[in-house]
Amino acid sequence: MKAESASRKLLSLLLLVGGAAMLVVSLIMDFSRSGVPFRGALLVLGMVAVILGLYLFPTLKYHRRIIYVIFLFPLLFTFAVTVIIPLCLGIFYSFTDWTGIQYTQFVGFGNYISMFQDPQFIWSILITFVFVLLNMILVNLIAFLLALLCTNGIKGDGFFRAAYFLPNLIGGIVLGYIWQFVFNNVLINITKTSMLVQTKSAMLAIIVVYIWQYAGYIMLIYITGLTQVPKDVLEAAQIDGANATQTLFQVKIPMIASTFTICTFLTLTSAFKQFDVNLALTGGTGSVPSFMGKYLTSGTQMLALNIYNTAVSKNNYALGQAKAVLFFIILACVSLIQVRVSNSKEVEL
Amino acid sequence: MKKLVYLLLAGVMAAGLTVSASADLRLVNGKIEVDAALKEAAAKYQEETGVVVNIESMGGGVNIQDELKKQYQGTGMPDIFVCGSDADFGNWDGLLADMSDCAWAADTDAGYVGTDGLVGFPYTTEAIGLAYNADILEKAGIDPASITGPESMKAAFETLDSKKDELGLTAVIGWCCEAQNLYWSTGSHSFANYLDAGLARDDTTYSDLLADGGQIDHDRFLHYAEMVGLFNQYSDPALLTSGTYDQQILGFASGKYAFVTQGSWIGATMTTDDAAQYEEAGHFKVGMIPYAFEEGIDTILTNSPSWWAVFNDDNADEAKAFLDWLAGDEGQEILVMKGGFISPFKSCSFIAEDPFAETISAYTAAGKTSAWHWLKNKASLDQNATGQLYLDYALGSIPDAETFTQVMTQVIAEYYAS
Repeated sequence: MKAESASRKLLSLLLLVGGAAMLVVSLIMDFSRSGVPFRGALLVLGMVAVILGLYLFPTLKYHRRIIYVIFLFPLLFTFAVTVIIPLCLGIFYSFTDWTGIQYTQFVGFGNYISMFQDPQFIWSILITFVFVLLNMILVNLIAFLLALLCTNGIKGDGFFRAAYFLPNLIGGIVLGYIWQFVFNNVLINITKTSMLVQTKSAMLAIIVVYIWQYAGYIMLIYITGLTQVPKDVLEAAQIDGANATQTLFQVKIPMIASTFTICTFLTLTSAFKQFDVNLALTGGTGSVPSFMGKYLTSGTQMLALNIYNTAVSKNNYALGQAKAVLFFIILACVSLIQVRVSNSKEVEL
Repeated sequence: MKKLVYLLLAGVMAAGLTVSASADLRLVNGKIEVDAALKEAAAKYQEETGVVVNIESMGGGVNIQDELKKQYQGTGMPDIFVCGSDADFGNWDGLLADMSDCAWAADTDAGYVGTDGLVGFPYTTEAIGLAYNADILEKAGIDPASITGPESMKAAFETLDSKKDELGLTAVIGWCCEAQNLYWSTGSHSFANYLDAGLARDDTTYSDLLADGGQIDHDRFLHYAEMVGLFNQYSDPALLTSGTYDQQILGFASGKYAFVTQGSWIGATMTTDDAAQYEEAGHFKVGMIPYAFEEGIDTILTNSPSWWAVFNDDNADEAKAFLDWLAGDEGQEILVMKGGFISPFKSCSFIAEDPFAETISAYTAAGKTSAWHWLKNKASLDQNATGQLYLDYALGSIPDAETFTQVMTQVIAEYYAS
């Protein structure tokens, strides 16, 4: 028993040390861009050795904890590779003059300063906020009305639910191109010039398309809420002589208040991140003759598209990265507030 | 014992994951329409030398430089890839192979010379000029050679406009200022005429001025702007502000426009996608006249539209050998006859069956060509600045040539300053 334990300890230590050494060597080879063909294998082998070493580590006290970590490892590893490391790298790059290929120097807060001196970026932030505000109201209003319509017991409400939801299944890019065709070839007979060529009407077009895409989805959530209003409460209201409007405003809406919270935040975050319809429908075009003393040429370019455009089209990856960090901060704040508000609502219920 | 077996198995799996280095060449091509011709050339090369060349064509709105950057960070670079401008080549400073020792280098002047030496292999020639339908001009009694300046151009447009019904025209000119998808046509290709039209190939007066903080020569641009105003006036209203490229080419190919403001590359579309309409319209002869916005401008703009660069790694010599072969007789035969390329190589004797091949070689032979210095413009100037202004001018929100010139001057200077 003792002999086995000793050999197990030795094996475990060997595996740990060997594995760590293999990891270090393969990482060094990776960063020095060495062309050695087996460095990938070495990395994986090192990882396997470390995990085996940990598993065999002779301890009773920590064994359970080690097993937990090993089981969590695949998830933690994936999370680190896809989220944590890129986030840190991104913040790091935003302080350099990164070109997407390499960086030559640190510029401190230079990127952050120049992004706030750019009227186009300020404009993008402004219209994004306006867009978010308008959409939050309009999408929820229309979705709620549709939900009322579809829970009213009209004939074929199943068909209408499916029909209103369908646009949400089409990808934003495809949808953008379809609507571009509609605006440029069909509606042009009414509007004379296409709605997409003037900044104001083009923004309106984006809002219309976005509502068309998103209202059906939000409607489904409202339908779920409305159908979960207990029947006895509704019956009680009926017996007390409440009419339809009173039932709606004084029974149904208060009963589904939490659904409103969820839907408001869903539309809020998704409207903030609006990119694909913006890209496909207008590509950010549109002019603003005078804003902060400048003639802007990307009047319908919202925040996400502005970031993409700065990096990919203007070939300024570091500045785009800095803008993305700001974008992250805004979205993180919104999400945190959302979590707070939803939690407090849950307590109330 | 069992654990040892597991360890062994894990080791085998890890070894299997290792990417094996391959000696095959990869070429990233930016002209999706010649994909088949390039693959044919690659197959022939493999037959002769045993070297496999994989052609990867990208097109249809893919930002190739961005795609290449991703490959550089991730899966590894292709051995040969397309670069279209100074900004593109600038991305790869210090990473490209110098090809001045290659056999093709002596056979052309169209190669791209960068900081690393001769780094761009030219593969075709394209021309920017005001394309016309020769049959319609003849019927209207207009000699294209008589259009030598703004007045004669205006007179010709007026004549054509008055005979529209008789000639079966929808509009005199197919000129499209749509800003989302066609910004490159206005913001780069048309703008190119302000930079180069009428100048010697090595004359960089206006592109130097532009590079120096985005300055615009007021008088020259004003004259150019007046011509743009003429185009706006006589273009098809259905095309002008919200048309598409396909619509524009189809209109010209089916004889509805006497002029079209696209370059020689539309020849390929006219004889393939739009072949039926082109035949129906009588397979008319085409030609090009200079964008003569000032009296005496007599050149069209020809250049290699983009180049192939070789990534300087272990495969660089193999890649250079392949490009040498492409520049030779066998390679050129496939590229010119199957791909429709207009060869930039002096020793090449093949001529593509392209409607515009004749007019380009006539201008080239007469020495009446200017270069494409717009390739030196700041990255995406057309998409982010100039393209939108052409649309505003066409819409009338910029009312006249003088305002257009002023706004253009202001916006370009701001774009260069940012």
